[in-house]
Amino acid sequence: MSAQSPANAVGQGVPRLEVREKVFGQAQYVDDMVRPRMLHGAVLGSPIPHGRIKSFDKSRALALPGVKAVIVGPELPAHHLGAFIKDETALAREKVRYIGDPVAAVAAVDLATARKALGLIDIEYEELPAVFDVDEAQKPGAPLLHENYEKYVKVYPAEFSGRNVLTISTVSEGNVDQAWAQCDVIVEGVYESPAQAHAYLETNGALAEFDAAGKVTVWSCTQSIFKMQAAISEALGLPMAKIRAIATRVGGGFGGKSEPGTQIIAVMLAQATGRPVKVILSRDEDFTMMRVRHPAKVRVKTGAKKDGTLVAREFDAVYDAGAYADESPGVVGFGVLMARGPYRVPHVKSVGRGVYTNKLRTGAFRGFGNPQTAFASEANLDDLAAKLGMDPLDLRLKNAMRPGDTWVGGQKVEACGLVECLEKLRKQSDWDKRRNSPAPAKPGKKRGIGVACLSHISGVLATSAIVRLLEDGSFSLNTGAVDIGQGSDTTLAQICAGSLRVPLERVNLVNPDTDASPYNWGTGASRVTYTVGRAVASASDSVAEQIKQRASIIFECAPADLELREGGMVGVKGVPGKVLPYGAVAGFSHFVVGGPIIGTTALMFDGPGFDPKRALLRGVPFSNLGAYVFGAQAVEIEIDEVTGKVEVIEAWSAHDVGKAINPQSVEGQIQGGVVQGIGYALTESVEWDGGRVVNPTFMDYKIPGALDVPYAIHPIIVEHPEASGPFGAKGVGEPGLIGVGPAIRNAIAHAVGVRLSVMPFSAERVWTAMRGAA
Amino acid sequence: MTPLAYHEPESLDRALRLLADIEGARCIAGGQTLVAMLNAGLVEPPALVSLARIAELATIARGPGGALRIGATVTHEAVTESDDVARNFPLIAQAARAIAHPAIRSFGTIGGAVAHGDPNADYPAALVASDAVIEIASGGRRRSVPAGEFFRDYLTTALEPGEIVVAVVIPAPPVGARGLYLKFARVDGDYATLSVAALLARKDGACTHLAVALGSAGSVPVRDRNAEKKRIGKKLDDAAIAELGAALAARCDPVDDVRGSSAYRRGLVPGLVAKTLKILSA
Amino acid sequence: MQVELNVNGEQASLMLDARQTLLDALRVQLGLTGTKLGCNQGVCGACTVLIDGKPARSCLVLAAGCGGRKIVTIEGIADGAKSSAVQQAFIETGAVQCGYCTPGMILTAEALLRKRKRPGLDEIREAMSGNLCRCSGYAKIIDAVKLASERVPA
Repeated sequence: MSAQSPANAVGQGVPRLEVREKVFGQAQYVDDMVRPRMLHGAVLGSPIPHGRIKSFDKSRALALPGVKAVIVGPELPAHHLGAFIKDETALAREKVRYIGDPVAAVAAVDLATARKALGLIDIEYEELPAVFDVDEAQKPGAPLLHENYEKYVKVYPAEFSGRNVLTISTVSEGNVDQAWAQCDVIVEGVYESPAQAHAYLETNGALAEFDAAGKVTVWSCTQSIFKMQAAISEALGLPMAKIRAIATRVGGGFGGKSEPGTQIIAVMLAQATGRPVKVILSRDEDFTMMRVRHPAKVRVKTGAKKDGTLVAREFDAVYDAGAYADESPGVVGFGVLMARGPYRVPHVKSVGRGVYTNKLRTGAFRGFGNPQTAFASEANLDDLAAKLGMDPLDLRLKNAMRPGDTWVGGQKVEACGLVECLEKLRKQSDWDKRRNSPAPAKPGKKRGIGVACLSHISGVLATSAIVRLLEDGSFSLNTGAVDIGQGSDTTLAQICAGSLRVPLERVNLVNPDTDASPYNWGTGASRVTYTVGRAVASASDSVAEQIKQRASIIFECAPADLELREGGMVGVKGVPGKVLPYGAVAGFSHFVVGGPIIGTTALMFDGPGFDPKRALLRGVPFSNLGAYVFGAQAVEIEIDEVTGKVEVIEAWSAHDVGKAINPQSVEGQIQGGVVQGIGYALTESVEWDGGRVVNPTFMDYKIPGALDVPYAIHPIIVEHPEASGPFGAKGVGEPGLIGVGPAIRNAIAHAVGVRLSVMPFSAERVWTAMRGAA
Repeated sequence: MTPLAYHEPESLDRALRLLADIEGARCIAGGQTLVAMLNAGLVEPPALVSLARIAELATIARGPGGALRIGATVTHEAVTESDDVARNFPLIAQAARAIAHPAIRSFGTIGGAVAHGDPNADYPAALVASDAVIEIASGGRRRSVPAGEFFRDYLTTALEPGEIVVAVVIPAPPVGARGLYLKFARVDGDYATLSVAALLARKDGACTHLAVALGSAGSVPVRDRNAEKKRIGKKLDDAAIAELGAALAARCDPVDDVRGSSAYRRGLVPGLVAKTLKILSA
Repeated sequence: MQVELNVNGEQASLMLDARQTLLDALRVQLGLTGTKLGCNQGVCGACTVLIDGKPARSCLVLAAGCGGRKIVTIEGIADGAKSSAVQQAFIETGAVQCGYCTPGMILTAEALLRKRKRPGLDEIREAMSGNLCRCSGYAKIIDAVKLASERVPA
């Protein structure tokens, strides 16, 4: 681990490596790619929310001039896929389970023809009763979406019930039932949060092409080339050696491109036609066929002593999983794990369950279960502060975790900057004044300020890195990590350049390609800077050692006598004149002794897991994940008294990131997360009428524009070095979003005295609450 | 797919003849609505007749009695940038400015907006409140229809097959009249959840002219001329404003959708009408 | 039908269906893929180009209607390898994350600064309001436009 003082690039807000191609319009996203004789694909979704496929007839579609292949689900082998529970197939084979469930696909000479052909595929369904509500779905006699659920392969010790409950996660520590007696004040509430759509500007798409040897190359906007390779392999029964997945530029992911979108379909069509096939979803197809954030209903009960010391917390959540499991077990498990919040609470019991309904499946989205948890947890805590007569920031400060505290299950958290986050937040937002003697609001408006804290985990699963010294002293860095716009390519290159004391321009970052790149689970879970960065730092260190080893032969000294110097040099300590550029060492290695210098690291997060003597953990697909990260967020709002519309006028978002490798990127992630959080809190909600999404367009599903959010979103970077992180860094990709919803909810309570429990806080909801109607 | 024929006539007569001759042909001006519909496959006309090259449709000018005549293909941007409109027809300028976003306004036209007949859009309520008149032409004749009668139902207007809007004529407002378009939407650029278009003129504290029309309040803009008449010659105090607001709320039949429930929209009417009229009375 | 387009200063003669949007003609026929498809309904702004100097939603403009008009896309902004003031500012302020909204943002900013030399903060936010970004939260994009406006000769 490179613990040297930061070298030239680390800690600098250097421009992104790929920024020029993006501002020049030369960046290649998958829909920009063209291959010789390429065909265009389109996907047919189920028109009904629940049914059995009885028969199909492709002949009319095949007869349309320009159509080259038509594939229907029932023709496919029964290869089941799924991140945690293998409950789906590449196209629906026997049953369809939501309106939009992909059931067939067409490849044609142009997109218009392909789309027209979809309407000519005749599929006969036996419609089945459908269920759209999580409570209804759990009742005896409710339609079952997955009758064969017990037979599905599950990659973790799943707990479930027969009534559409696909996963039950439990985490508990201490004895909550007995602890209530010690509490002077107890507050309970039920909090509901909506389905949020990722609304990345680039829709899901893929381009697949087979070569003459039967190997397929798939270019796609994915968050994980390795997950795509594995999914294609599983779906088609092709060995991974015959599958090459390459990352194109990605136009936003936020979790919505972690699981397969159209990759498998593109591969099947390419196989059927023998030609390259590109399958790009339209905006409304992406809204209705892919995945959204889990709507959730969470009951929280928190008990405290009258001086504000938290004693007990009980948490009970139901997450709507939609029609397929997708990443639900992870989301539910993580949401349950985060339920205590970043506080010292000795008695915690949290249970969550994921329930199937005949709606669009729900999956990973920035926060991964934590936003739903944080909304409930932080709203409830604010209500507790009110009952205690305490300032809500003071209540949080009093109970905040400190370095050396443990998470539920006993994992020690050495690096914890939460207190500093809260103190900086208090100061920079002028909290006390805004809370207690705010400036007058504009006429017709009411003003308020609210706060929320968050904890999250940065890390997870396996990763690797290869660093190669090139003959002129530059480097090639290969990690397989996809930059989905968050700037990881640059950050990783900075870590490598910083570790090896070279200017950033001397690091070449290899585009993620399963042919060339070592395994990397994917981009998500705020893991790339921390987990992949660790691997990069370690591989760089290995290269540094090899450089010294070769140089020690040239200098005729011990490797321990050598040091790396700024500018890409290795020299004898204390002897300025005895120095060699890396190029000379490379030349020596290539032509004289030792062979090429290559540093590799393979890494799996290896921190302590849950201590089963301390805590109970059941039905959770992971027991140790990564480094804990912390944050505190505050928003000042104004509410229009006539309409109830909430406007965020200023926001502060403090995050302990360990070390900001690229402060500009860290700020960008925080600001972007805050704005997504504002959308989630105020205007974004995927709505269904029965099983049909009623707002599958940007016209009707509204994400914030520049005038809907304040310009003044203040990122506050706190750095408490994480010992295991590269240069002390850990992640910040997700946290920006997590506390915004509850902070706004709490600000509304401050402004107009209404304590909302259903998100989003649309103008209508606020207006209705202000008038005292239910 | 059969190729779509595209015509760019340079005279109104030629355009009307093409529309009469080709069954199902549609005219296109800015395209901001029609092209979106074409993209979504909602319409499949055999031919398009562009109005972009017809000079007489593209002008803003004053006519008899000081009325403002806005040609059908005048863009929303041109309306907002006209000094005359901004100074003397502020209600119209504000309604145009409230439409969507700048790039849409560079191309969207008043004729297109009016012909589309969407009560959730911004021009219809403003035109109804302004007592505008819609000039219509077809191969055989010209006619004029007051805005209040032009909008018949949701996306349904008085236009008959072969007819197009050629101009919108707005009478000069009464001396001293002030106009305001107040739009309430979920986010910037969205369709209104509710909008209020109002004109108010007073002399010595008494109303001499009062017109209030609501957008997104029903299948057509909502106005209550009787309730307005009651205020003429009288003061416009809080009680009077409340009465007008209640009358309008009673006339509303707003839709229930993602922008708001019908109960909410109806509930907003008194408050937003009051806010609008208070600003105009200040 | 045959359509003559003037794109980035060059004449192009294309064989098109009248149904084709300008966006489609630019990306498919002319291979100018810098302009992006985001929603195909004119809401997101990723398809923004300049038509006779005004920002336009190329997904809502028929290519057939563009004869005789000057179209500028992201590929026409830089002078060879030399970035414009707007592009350079986007590079420096961290305004670019995934990059998908970037061409549309840059075109809109270019149009603003050609029309207004020293726009205020609110003017900038208003001008950029029709371009959606899901990554950045807008602040650094606004910073970029402000920075560029300070560098453009008065």
